[in-house]
Amino acid sequence: MSENRISRRGFIKLGVAGASVIAGSQIIKRAQALETVETGGRKWAMVIDQSKCTGCDYCTLACRAHNDIPPEISWNIVTKTGTVGAQDVYTPRPCMQCHHAPCVDVCPVRASSYRPDGIVSMDYDRCIGCRYCEIACPYGARSFNWKLFDGPNPSVPEWGQPEIERRPRGVVEKCSFCYQRIDRGLALGQTPGVDEDATPACVVACPVGARLFGDINDPESNVSKVLKGRTSYRLREDLGTSPRVYYLSATEEQQP
Amino acid sequence: MITKIRKISPWMAWFSGLAVVTAAGASAGVMVFWKGLSLTNLTDMVPWGLWITIDLSSIAMSAGAFSLCAVVYLLGLKRYEAVARTATFIGLLGYTIAVLTLLLDIGRPDRFWHAMVYWNKHSLLWEVTMCVTFYLVVLALEAMPIFANFSWLRNHWPKLSAKLSRVHHYAPYLAIAGLGLSMLHQSSLGALYGVLKARPLWYRPDISVLFIISAVAGGMALTVLASMLSVRATKHANVDNNILDRVSFIIGWVMVAYLYFRFWDALSMTYTYEPGRTEGLHLLTGGPLMFNFWIGEVLLGAVIPIILLLNKRTRALPLWRMLALALVVGGVVAYRWDTNMSGLLIILSYLPGEPSVTYTAYRPSLIEFLSGAGIIGYGLLAFSLGVRYLKVVDHNLEIAHVEESKAVKAIPATGD
Repeated sequence: MSENRISRRGFIKLGVAGASVIAGSQIIKRAQALETVETGGRKWAMVIDQSKCTGCDYCTLACRAHNDIPPEISWNIVTKTGTVGAQDVYTPRPCMQCHHAPCVDVCPVRASSYRPDGIVSMDYDRCIGCRYCEIACPYGARSFNWKLFDGPNPSVPEWGQPEIERRPRGVVEKCSFCYQRIDRGLALGQTPGVDEDATPACVVACPVGARLFGDINDPESNVSKVLKGRTSYRLREDLGTSPRVYYLSATEEQQP
Repeated sequence: MITKIRKISPWMAWFSGLAVVTAAGASAGVMVFWKGLSLTNLTDMVPWGLWITIDLSSIAMSAGAFSLCAVVYLLGLKRYEAVARTATFIGLLGYTIAVLTLLLDIGRPDRFWHAMVYWNKHSLLWEVTMCVTFYLVVLALEAMPIFANFSWLRNHWPKLSAKLSRVHHYAPYLAIAGLGLSMLHQSSLGALYGVLKARPLWYRPDISVLFIISAVAGGMALTVLASMLSVRATKHANVDNNILDRVSFIIGWVMVAYLYFRFWDALSMTYTYEPGRTEGLHLLTGGPLMFNFWIGEVLLGAVIPIILLLNKRTRALPLWRMLALALVVGGVVAYRWDTNMSGLLIILSYLPGEPSVTYTAYRPSLIEFLSGAGIIGYGLLAFSLGVRYLKVVDHNLEIAHVEESKAVKAIPATGD
């Protein structure tokens, strides 16, 4: 009986401790968010120039290799979306890394979250595989691991070497702007978007330079400069998701 | 002696039939856990299908518990107490069905507890998970006096049995908790769809209202239907026909409210073209879901049962009343299926230019059907056992509410 009582007290203590840890983590998270707003921290953005894109799909293949993605999943999709003059126009679609991401809102376990640099990251150890985020994403940027990916990756080594762990069966996965490359590059003093090793694999792999990457909060970055000089658009802006992937339209004047 | 062994009683036949279905479903479930969700016909386009419909429907069918418990313990209409008891037992089974189906449906069932630890207060699915968990506890407490009725328990563990039945003194408090939790998550299950801006057909506030109203009707209908069927199938059940008649009358009016809101909900969407939304509505009114919508949801699911339940003469005839209640249950399930499918079968393009719409298809795989049937079989099996051994359908049962009214006021004194 007395043992019981102690264990009950212990249980309550554990509960209180758990609650304070949760509360503490919330406070820390809020403080972090404030910090980034105040210091105007880095926000990574991608610019895709549709006047240059030839639809070669190198970006998709490099992405599959560097992120060790099974052949039936694509974090990046290239779709033909019409013609301008005699040339086909393509719309490549990575994850939009939305500023207001529906997937982050709906996840019941906070497996999707915003990094301070704006990237919407996935915690594959936390995801329960309910697939609500897949349904909520307006861009179809999320894929579920219906099967275990246990064979060799056909894109390796031709298109690069895997840099992150393979995802288990039963979780949702998506494009991460290759933040493993960004984080490693920054630690080595490199500049993402300038130094290839610190830049997303799809940007590096593009043979025609249709993709640019950089910090949109830095007015001197290549993405900021290009966006200042040319008209750009984003996908489904009407939804208010505020994507961080910008497109430069293919227009008649820009054809070579 | 020999003839006695050869003769199979209807009870044994029913019991073994259900046991076979449940066992087949359990083996299908094991296959899913072992081989993964690639055994289903679900895709990245249609990630939710048959199982989510079973899940939503079983929760809806459990709504009789909170509504009837509120009627009895909060409105004080004690004459419905025996029906509320049946509804509570059905509710307990319904929520366990929902939890089992969810375990099948999520990719990582080993992480089912993550929502308890990693809170996302913005997520309706998180809120639903928490409410379902807490409500399952409430239902288990509410059902304790029912389990106290098990004669084996009463004979072998009289003290435990007495303790369990004493939980009944807290029934009003449990009814408040149940009402609060159910009001939250029954409607949130609809809002789960309603908050998604990416799916124009779903993106409206009405689904949450429709979900809770249809759940109240469906839950009470299943309770009355199950009671009427039990009394016809076994001598272990007793019902007061007047009470069931009154509840059926109430169900008829709840269905009128449901049909009214459903009518405005659907009709308001016919004005102005909205990409994705208009196509979704056409799926329902003229596409592959047309039969489900017009016949399953509207005609058989609402109009006919409303007439049968509100007309005194047809309601008095057991066969017509049972038919009407079965139709209500079917209509509520059809509404869940249609809601899920009409939003998912439409794929709205994200590409530049005017949003274009493409269609996809979904048909559950054999393994989805089998495991789904197994889980429902478990529910029927458990209910049948409840009728036989726990007397869950027994309107003659003394529920001791004479002394209870005093006991409620003296709660601090009851814990000895």
